[in-house]
Amino acid sequence: MKKLSARIAGIAIAFALPLSLVAPASAAPAAVTLTVWTYGNVIEPQAITDYKKLHPEITIQLKKSGLDAHHQSLITSFLANKTPDIAAIEVSYSGYFRSYPQYFTDLRQAPYNSASIEKNYLDWRWDQGVGYEGTVFGIPTDVGGMQVAYRPDLFKAHGLPSTRDAVGKLWPTWNAFIATGQKYQKNLTKAEKTSCTKKKVCYGFIDNAGTIYNAVLNQGTKKYYENDNTKDGKLVYGSNSQVKAAFQTTATALGSGIGTNINSFTNDWNVGMNKGIFATILAPAWMMDYIKQQAPKTKGKWDIASLPGGGGNLGGSQLSIPKSAVHKKEAWDFMSWYLSPEEQLSIFKQYGLFPSTSVLYNDPALKDFKDPFFNNAPVGQIYGSSVQTLKPIYEGKKQRAIDNIIGQALSRVGLKKQSAASAWTQAMNEIKSAVGPSK
Amino acid sequence: MTNSAAKPLSPWKASGPKKAKKRKANSDDGSVVQSLNGGWGYLFTAPFVIMFLIFGLAPVIYSVYIAFFQWDPLDFTHVYIGLDNFVRVVQDEQFWLAVRNTFSIWALSTFPQMVMAIALANVLRNPMLKFKTFWRTMLLVPNITSVLAVAIVFGQLFSRDFGLVNLAREYLGMSNHINFVSETIPGHIAIATMITWRWLGYNALIFLAAMLAVPNELYEAASIDGASSWRQFLYVTLPGIRNTITFVLVVGTIGGLQVFAEPLTLAGGESGGDSRQFSTLTLFLFEQAHMGNWGYAATIGIMITFIVLIISGINFVFTRRLGSGENVQ
Repeated sequence: MKKLSARIAGIAIAFALPLSLVAPASAAPAAVTLTVWTYGNVIEPQAITDYKKLHPEITIQLKKSGLDAHHQSLITSFLANKTPDIAAIEVSYSGYFRSYPQYFTDLRQAPYNSASIEKNYLDWRWDQGVGYEGTVFGIPTDVGGMQVAYRPDLFKAHGLPSTRDAVGKLWPTWNAFIATGQKYQKNLTKAEKTSCTKKKVCYGFIDNAGTIYNAVLNQGTKKYYENDNTKDGKLVYGSNSQVKAAFQTTATALGSGIGTNINSFTNDWNVGMNKGIFATILAPAWMMDYIKQQAPKTKGKWDIASLPGGGGNLGGSQLSIPKSAVHKKEAWDFMSWYLSPEEQLSIFKQYGLFPSTSVLYNDPALKDFKDPFFNNAPVGQIYGSSVQTLKPIYEGKKQRAIDNIIGQALSRVGLKKQSAASAWTQAMNEIKSAVGPSK
Repeated sequence: MTNSAAKPLSPWKASGPKKAKKRKANSDDGSVVQSLNGGWGYLFTAPFVIMFLIFGLAPVIYSVYIAFFQWDPLDFTHVYIGLDNFVRVVQDEQFWLAVRNTFSIWALSTFPQMVMAIALANVLRNPMLKFKTFWRTMLLVPNITSVLAVAIVFGQLFSRDFGLVNLAREYLGMSNHINFVSETIPGHIAIATMITWRWLGYNALIFLAAMLAVPNELYEAASIDGASSWRQFLYVTLPGIRNTITFVLVVGTIGGLQVFAEPLTLAGGESGGDSRQFSTLTLFLFEQAHMGNWGYAATIGIMITFIVLIISGINFVFTRRLGSGENVQ
């Protein structure tokens, strides 16, 4: 009898063993497919592979769209009540979604208890995921930060110092940055200068001086809206002097001819990066990976210097769980794993997405991290100091539309289609008809 | 006709023993046909009608409804504003700019394309041409390529500093780079090129089909009369495909009013470039909807409908004239 039961047990084990190898989920919780909607590289592919090893029962179905398309389809999914389990929300849209916390799971509540992890994150990044009634609708992913990626070789060739510290000292302010750019332009070779006057390729100090606008604006304390504790916030784009100041600084830079007027993320930009058409790019941390992908042959030729006027930021997103998500618990498990300090550190090392978890900023693993692509610049330390000086800014409801209109106006100034003054007036009128009058 | 056809079909019935039975059978047949014409007809058309009601008519009615509101999609309550949206759209410079852009791109893409398509079809019609099927198949390749892929590739071709088009111009001695993304007419030409590239082969095949339907005797007669091939083309081919030209024009116009993906991709944004020079009607609608102005976007949609109706009316008159002209001939 004993023998028989042993034999049965043996057979059972013999069957169970390969089974467990093939489908370990049979012992663990039931298989779940998490649908995750993002844009760009908010969730890096490596993280999904890693999570599958930790939780074989969870399959992550990632849907990536363009930035605008992603947020629009998210709105549609809210209306249809058929949402993903996790949705990324970029900071230019967080102002919009903060007006509608009723469509999101409030992460303050049990079992999520976001308050217990809040202290890990940068305060102003955390605020970007807080709805107008104080609900927490999103947890921060990486933080953009903003620094100047520059080419030491081109700096040297055009009569400028090339070491990181010396370069940073060249431009304590934006005006000094513009002056440095003009010095660079003066030292262009004759061939480079005539190329531009003949309306061929223009060589320049910076890829596009229009990018200065967002950098300056994000160094301030408010943008187009003010928090008046209403759902939609109060429009102040006309009366807020910071907006106009940022516009004017940028218009001055555009007028000084230091930029090539090549727009970011275009074909010309990618080629220009490889050919050294421009010597600087205002680069958030996530752009480092883009430069590596697009211009692998320029490895070691880049360096990172500090941004004029203090710290800076561009971009960054939150992960949120829509109210009608099906697998909320599993979604939260993945989010709290992916956004934990440890995982953010490993993503930073691999892809350069800078952690929003401020607890890491004094961690030697981050502080001492050097990137050989950027001439061994201590990128961890540089970006860390950049993001800590920023103040919280209220992200307004239709900020994306306003940003676009001002971007167009600056582009017209850069291409000399319009004077700065009339571009500003036109932009103000367009904003008024698009989102309403400023108060 | 029907009687003579019916008789040989059922001779055995006619030879049946009872006439009354035959009459009854006949009346049965009639009732089946009758019921097919009646109730069954509805059943068979139901799939289309139901789909049309749900996905065609209902959204139209809903759009008209929300055009009277200030309608942010995620709000629970929406503000009724009467005809404000309609007043706004008529006064909106951006709307009229979109109308102008749309027609400019339409004209630049339609007319050169027609000429080229007819020319291509005339070449393909040539009986001496080798590898006929190959050429005809190749013509359709651009048409089955994804619009977005086309737009991305053309966006690279037309880029200012390192685009192939500008490099080619430089090689030909025109040294200045054209900024296709920023200048209005060059930009419209770039978009029209994408549209032409995509639809040229398709339209050429339609013209080819029409040309092959022109009776060969006409050509034979013309050549006996000593008409050159150019004159044959002018006086035999062109009149023969006149109706097809109208058809291609109508279809092209409908497509032209819906130009969307090409300007969106070339401009790199929904507002259509720094001076809104690529903002077409559909793109403008899309932009407004994405700003959360669904009510206004719906109003723009209604305006597009009116524009299409007006153009269809013109087309209708035009086609009727052409048709009657043919009858006289």
